Amino acid sequence: MSEDRTPQVPDEEATRGSTLRRVLVNAGGALVFPLFAILISFLIGAVIVLATGNNPLAAYAALLQGAVGSPTAIGTMLLGATPLIFTGLAVAVAFRAGLFNIGGEGQLYIGAITAAWLGVSLGFLGPFSVVLVLLACVLTGFLWGAIPGFLKARFGAHEVITTIMLNYIGIYLATYIALKPLRTEGLVPGTDTIDIAIRIPFIGLGLGRANYGFFIALLAAVVAYLLLWRTRRGFQIRAVGLSPGAANYAGMGIGVNTVLALAIGGAFAAVGGGVEVLGVYGKMTVPFVTNLGFNGIGVALLGRNHPAGVVLGALLFGGLYSGAQEMQFATDVPLQLANVLLAVILLLVTATKLVELVLGKRARALAGARLEKGLGQ
Amino acid sequence: MGEIFGAPGELLASTIRFATPLVLAALGGMFSERSGVVNIGLEGLMLISAFAGVVGASLSGNAFVGLGFALAAGLGFALIHALMCVTFEADQIISGTAINLLALGGTGFLLVVIFGAGGTSPRVEGFEELPIPLLSDIPVVGPALFAQSLLVYLMYLLVPVTFFVLFRTPFGLRLRATGEVPEAVDTAGVSVTRMRYYGVALSGLLASLGGVYLSMGLLSAFTENMTNGRGFIALAALIFGRWNPIGAAGAALLFGFAQAVTIQAPQDLIPQEFLQMLPYVLTIIVLAGFGGRAIAPAAIGKPYRKE
Repeated sequence: MSEDRTPQVPDEEATRGSTLRRVLVNAGGALVFPLFAILISFLIGAVIVLATGNNPLAAYAALLQGAVGSPTAIGTMLLGATPLIFTGLAVAVAFRAGLFNIGGEGQLYIGAITAAWLGVSLGFLGPFSVVLVLLACVLTGFLWGAIPGFLKARFGAHEVITTIMLNYIGIYLATYIALKPLRTEGLVPGTDTIDIAIRIPFIGLGLGRANYGFFIALLAAVVAYLLLWRTRRGFQIRAVGLSPGAANYAGMGIGVNTVLALAIGGAFAAVGGGVEVLGVYGKMTVPFVTNLGFNGIGVALLGRNHPAGVVLGALLFGGLYSGAQEMQFATDVPLQLANVLLAVILLLVTATKLVELVLGKRARALAGARLEKGLGQ
Repeated sequence: MGEIFGAPGELLASTIRFATPLVLAALGGMFSERSGVVNIGLEGLMLISAFAGVVGASLSGNAFVGLGFALAAGLGFALIHALMCVTFEADQIISGTAINLLALGGTGFLLVVIFGAGGTSPRVEGFEELPIPLLSDIPVVGPALFAQSLLVYLMYLLVPVTFFVLFRTPFGLRLRATGEVPEAVDTAGVSVTRMRYYGVALSGLLASLGGVYLSMGLLSAFTENMTNGRGFIALAALIFGRWNPIGAAGAALLFGFAQAVTIQAPQDLIPQEFLQMLPYVLTIIVLAGFGGRAIAPAAIGKPYRKE
């Protein structure tokens, strides 16, 4: 039903007036969906908290305290946000090409096992060891991400299904490597611990266990921005996403850009896995982190698939998780409430009609957000 | 064979046990996807039902009350998915992902609130094995096929029933048409919205049977994230079986067999991780078009808007 897709630049309001005014109106429009979703989600959360016999205000106050109330809290927020920036970028870059990357989970595992393997087996290679290991993650993530791109470009296999399937293939592959060739004796099954010289150092400044990986994530967001909006390739990727027909007519090669967009996304998520290993855990254990890939989808959608938005979305998610621990400690509300809140946000953030019902048609036109992708060809 | 895999009867019995939740959830996914709504939330529908079943059984001490709770939870969550995708035109993939996260977070949350501690619920009354007289006396296959839980027999029944409903009833015809050419269904005076609600609701009910079998058939307790990817394997079975009930059940049996072998084969023969990958690898191969292309219903994933 591509013919009734809402035009991307419709509202007069958004295109009229000075540049500054235009930027402000557009930014405001872009925030309508996310803010609406966040607000409703917290209202639903309040009802749930009330139902468990707790005071929602007290719970949310503790949540806020635990998210940004102290340097340690902020450190925990940054720690939680870091991998989500990477997995969020993995979704956002692919989305700009009109592709759904649900494979962040597996891509992150591929990066994690790459970092653990090289970290354990290479030893210290001079001051650039961390950079070398992360570059290797870029490579393996790129190749892993290219698989669904190739399957789509060559055989028309839908990337939603193939990336879901590749999640589990990647997780089992990484698990196999961690448990068989790299297995060491220890309480938790997994790889050996990586030499401290090849680890990402803590930031310090009272920020608890937050490490410089956060800044690597910010750098990745800048790279994603430059790549998408300041290079010829990025222009092509976005053109394919906005209008495959026109891009194809202009000779841009849909296949190549499909493969590249998913491969680049895979590289981002894989570096996220590498940063988790080198910055937080120092090894790959089984089980390893879960749901970072799936949460990256929420982060990207909240951030409207823009690198700056991804960073903000990841900080919100990171803050919610770190705040939830404080909330569980201070009140009787289980920390799993954070997952419920995030799920509700995700549920609502693309509900076009709902926003229209509540805020009127103008809000939807301003937001200009219509996610419409069919699974059939 | 005998020395490596144990008795063939035991291998068959455990294949059936592993395949049952996959078959049920895959049949559920079929109703949803045939109506044009992608359901990657099968995992979450199974998980919330597995939990609700245990809650019901724990409150009442009766497994059937648990089953009722599970069906209600599966239906409720499926209706959230339908409300979001069909009524509010939210993205179906995103909504499905959200359903999965909601089930994971919600069951984790309620496990603490209701049972006082995370991790695992207390043991409850489950659906125990119920050998069918005479049939279960057949050598080898008898005990494997007919000394199972009630939910397994229900699964045997639901495969042909689903096939019949989908391909031999007016309802099935309308449902399939809604997934292929919704405009035509609309023109014929049948509500696309209603058909899609039916499809998604049925997927919730069937997936909940799969979920409740995990927590009250295979085990007698709920553990956090106990579905552990089974909803996605069911999705894989659905695609591998080309959106056909018989095909999906066959694929689910194959994947169940792979799991049964994983448990029974000695570790050093084939690494179990590679056997666990098998369903996903096979699905990708089929999607890529080897051995006959898997083609999804034409209108799947797209919200329907009247002109």
